[in-house]
Amino acid sequence: MGTVHARSLDPLPMRGPELGVQPDDIEAPEIEHEPKQEVLENKNVVVQQVHIDGLGRTKEDLLTYEIKEVFRAKNLIDVMRKSHEARQKLLRLGIFRKVEVVIDTSRGEGALPNGLDVTFEVTELRRMTGSYNTMVGNNEGSMVLGLKLPNVLGRAEKMTFQFSYGTKETSYGLSFFKPQPGNFERNITLNMYKVTGQFPWSSLRETDRGISGELSFPLWKTSQTLKWEGVWRELGCLARTASFAVREESGHSLKSSLSHSMVIDTRNSSILPRKGGLLKIHQELAGYTGGDASFLKEDFEIQLNKTLFWDSVLSTSLWGGLLLPIGDKPTSIADRFYLGGPTSIRGFSMYSLGPQSEGDYLGGEGYWAGGVHLYTPLPFRPGKGGFGDLFRTHFFLNAGNLCNLNYGEGPKAHLKKLAECIRWSYGIGLVLRLGNIARLELNYCIPMGVQSGDRICDGFQFGAGIRFL
Amino acid sequence: MSLAAEAFVSQMAAAEPWPESATLYQPLKEDQILLSDCASSLAVQAYLRMCGLPVQVVCKSNAEYMSPSGKIPFIHVGNQVVSELGPIVQFTKAKGNSLSDGLDDVQRAEMKAYMELVNNMLLTAELYIQWCDDATAAEISRPRYSSPYSWPLSNILAYQKQWEVRRKMNAIGWGGKTLEQVYEDVTQCCQALSQRLGTQPFFFNKQPTELDALVFGHLFTILTTRLTSTELAERIKSYSNLLSFCRRIEQTYFEDKSS
Amino acid sequence: MAAPDELFCWEGAWGLPSVSSDCLTVLAYAQFAGAPLKLRKISNPWRSPSGSLPALRTNQNETLSRPSDIIIHLRKQKFNADFDLSAKEGADSLAFISLLEERLRPALIYNSWVDSKNYVEVTRRWYAEHLPFPLNFLLPGRMQRQQLETLRLLRGDPHLEGGEELEKELYREAAECMDLLSQRLGAHKFFFGDSPSSLDAYVFAYLAPVLKAKLPNGKLQQHLKSLDNLSSFCSNILLLYFPQDTRESGGQKSSSPPQPEGGDFDHVPNKRRKQLMSALVALGAMLSYALLTGILSIQQLQQEALEAPPDLQTLGSRDEDEEGDG
Repeated sequence: MGTVHARSLDPLPMRGPELGVQPDDIEAPEIEHEPKQEVLENKNVVVQQVHIDGLGRTKEDLLTYEIKEVFRAKNLIDVMRKSHEARQKLLRLGIFRKVEVVIDTSRGEGALPNGLDVTFEVTELRRMTGSYNTMVGNNEGSMVLGLKLPNVLGRAEKMTFQFSYGTKETSYGLSFFKPQPGNFERNITLNMYKVTGQFPWSSLRETDRGISGELSFPLWKTSQTLKWEGVWRELGCLARTASFAVREESGHSLKSSLSHSMVIDTRNSSILPRKGGLLKIHQELAGYTGGDASFLKEDFEIQLNKTLFWDSVLSTSLWGGLLLPIGDKPTSIADRFYLGGPTSIRGFSMYSLGPQSEGDYLGGEGYWAGGVHLYTPLPFRPGKGGFGDLFRTHFFLNAGNLCNLNYGEGPKAHLKKLAECIRWSYGIGLVLRLGNIARLELNYCIPMGVQSGDRICDGFQFGAGIRFL
Repeated sequence: MSLAAEAFVSQMAAAEPWPESATLYQPLKEDQILLSDCASSLAVQAYLRMCGLPVQVVCKSNAEYMSPSGKIPFIHVGNQVVSELGPIVQFTKAKGNSLSDGLDDVQRAEMKAYMELVNNMLLTAELYIQWCDDATAAEISRPRYSSPYSWPLSNILAYQKQWEVRRKMNAIGWGGKTLEQVYEDVTQCCQALSQRLGTQPFFFNKQPTELDALVFGHLFTILTTRLTSTELAERIKSYSNLLSFCRRIEQTYFEDKSS
Repeated sequence: MAAPDELFCWEGAWGLPSVSSDCLTVLAYAQFAGAPLKLRKISNPWRSPSGSLPALRTNQNETLSRPSDIIIHLRKQKFNADFDLSAKEGADSLAFISLLEERLRPALIYNSWVDSKNYVEVTRRWYAEHLPFPLNFLLPGRMQRQQLETLRLLRGDPHLEGGEELEKELYREAAECMDLLSQRLGAHKFFFGDSPSSLDAYVFAYLAPVLKAKLPNGKLQQHLKSLDNLSSFCSNILLLYFPQDTRESGGQKSSSPPQPEGGDFDHVPNKRRKQLMSALVALGAMLSYALLTGILSIQQLQQEALEAPPDLQTLGSRDEDEEGDG
């Protein structure tokens, strides 16, 4: 996903986080060391057999990778820990509704006195599940009807079809996901989609029809994604009053791009983390595999979190990006970066700063944005340990800039340009965490460094979204 | 053009004089533009020259999508965007430039009727030949129309356009016509125009009107454009008064500028 | 002489010989030219040989359905209403027919099919009552979608939706077109000379339904009524060439009484039932009338020779013929 880039019409999140069980949510419970187990701890045991009960269409060879660690356990505590890990792994495959672990002493022929049998009792998900969701994206809501075929070929493959009917767009997508057996993080995804979006800040309507193929794999501490995408983009004016600059961008284009992204995420939660950091680098090269658009796009995101006194968290983040056109053609309005709004630089209206023409924001080729937040629990901590923990208050300071770069000038001039006329804002607000995927904010903002043409939102501003500066 | 926008346009237009920077947008002249679009664009250019309003012609590959009505050509004057001859005539009228003020009511009715005749028969015939005649569509229209795009988008857009035009032909009852019948319609239309013109220099007396611009745009384009068959041009060539009409307008309004 | 050509047309209503403009064009032209056609007024397009109305089955068993093709065919049969026109007048009528097709036709489609109130209260009701049983549930909706599609293609805007802005635009064009026609007609009785020609047939066919149909949204009608010469042009032609239909209009009305409160979307299921009921009642009444008088059969009701003014010519033969062979 492009950084500050709600414009990039991402296909519907096919395998992204869902409002269900989250690996993040299940913070590996420390095995409780009760006095009884203390005795067992040193006793050597041998795991003789591992059963999996309740398998239907799932192929067993897939599961042997996930449970093989259990055989390596040397003592009872180890068996319990490893079984628990195996259970988590099984659940993560997204093919079981329920997994229960039963550990018993071995019985029958050849049973050793210190032999143990571990049984996983699993319940498979139905062959096909339908869903009805209301999705909250960056400042818009939509109704999503989905059809999911988990485990379609028996090895945790997933086929998803989604149809979304939204306040601003109607879209559909079909995706196929296949992990490598035994290595769930290494997977491929194929997508086919049509996404329609309306961008009132640019008086622009965009319809994308595309196909993409994606390969994800972990490498050391990072997770890497390589992607090819072919998109047919249709741009049009949202209204007759659209500026001529937007009118000139109307029409069809074909983008074929290769992109790579790398993520290191050590945060304990993606929404309201208490510790850890995030580094995300994304680069996209379009034009070398065909298509009309050719550019190189680079962007990054860094976030660091640190818990201070009294449960308060200091969070700093920095975003930046560059878009370089290749060849004579100028960049398209659909590829440029946008900045501003309650999810990036607060105190400005949604994507309403930087280069503009007759009130339509055209986006920029270079940007940076930084933010410092101090999150604290609610004053006097009402609803502690329950509902109240979903809320935080925060003090923030955001700054950033977005502009077009003339590539003849060299890097020094670029930096100078990005350092001129910095927009910044500060304020205080209330944050509500929604599940583990989104958050709502109500802030009182004071925008500063406003340039003529920017649209500001002085005072209270409400925001909902997935990514926040 | 919508009524509200039009009221706005005429209000704004009346206030400002015609700027020097007025531009007319059309598809790429060498590689992309098709007969029907070229004819409509030439008609507007002829009209503006008759009014003595300067306009700069700009070729853009996405002109069709830039146009507010999706039709070629459109003009960008000040911060106004107006497409097609009819609305452009109204727009210039609001700015105080009109060619048809000297006509009486009956003549004006006839002028509008003949303009619709050209749109209804000549323009439709051009579209038919471009997109419904398989040879022309395959050799000229589809390759030219899709020239700015890369594969596979080029194919998608060209066939999409062809399909759309064919559906329109079906809706107006031209779907079942043969090429010969269409040529016959063109002849009928030219016959009518030739009759109406008679021996006059212009359709209405000695002054040109928007009808003259429209007829010139279409006839001149048909005469000077190479198609798979010369039949269309041949049909026009048998009307000598129409030929000399085209030559006259070309000499009066187009040649003096180039020389 | 060979058997006359057969013309299939929509039934009439509101004192018009047919509800469809295209049918009216052909009917009026045939009347003006004095063509002896065997007229079949039907209310089921599936019984037309071409599947649509109007349709002309010639005695060579060809089927024509475009009004202009039918007129050309009649002209070739020496029934030419444009015989007296000069070449320039011929050119003018071609031009004005184009004007009608480009400017008035979209507004007429909008007026009876896209304007929801007009469609639900009058157009759909009329077709639901006149189409035979299963079709009356299916065809009106399908016809409406087709007409909307046609309008979209005519305007070249695939996302066109009915609405105030579109209505204003179409009606403005239509009103301008009517003004131009009115100016061209002036104080004359017909467009060219003393006898009607094909242009008169087209103008009549496009304007008479606007004048006669009782639509709740009657902006076009109001404008037409304000143009005295055009509205009396239409009534004159009705009186002179279709005297029978004008007389019948009183009787026709009772089958579709205007219901002021109808057309609410909430009442659609009830409305359907009512429509079905009224169609059945009407059918029953017709049957019992036919049986009581003992003269008429259903077949003969549906088949009716084009009643030409008595001095022009003899009527087409009234022989029995098989139905629905198309």
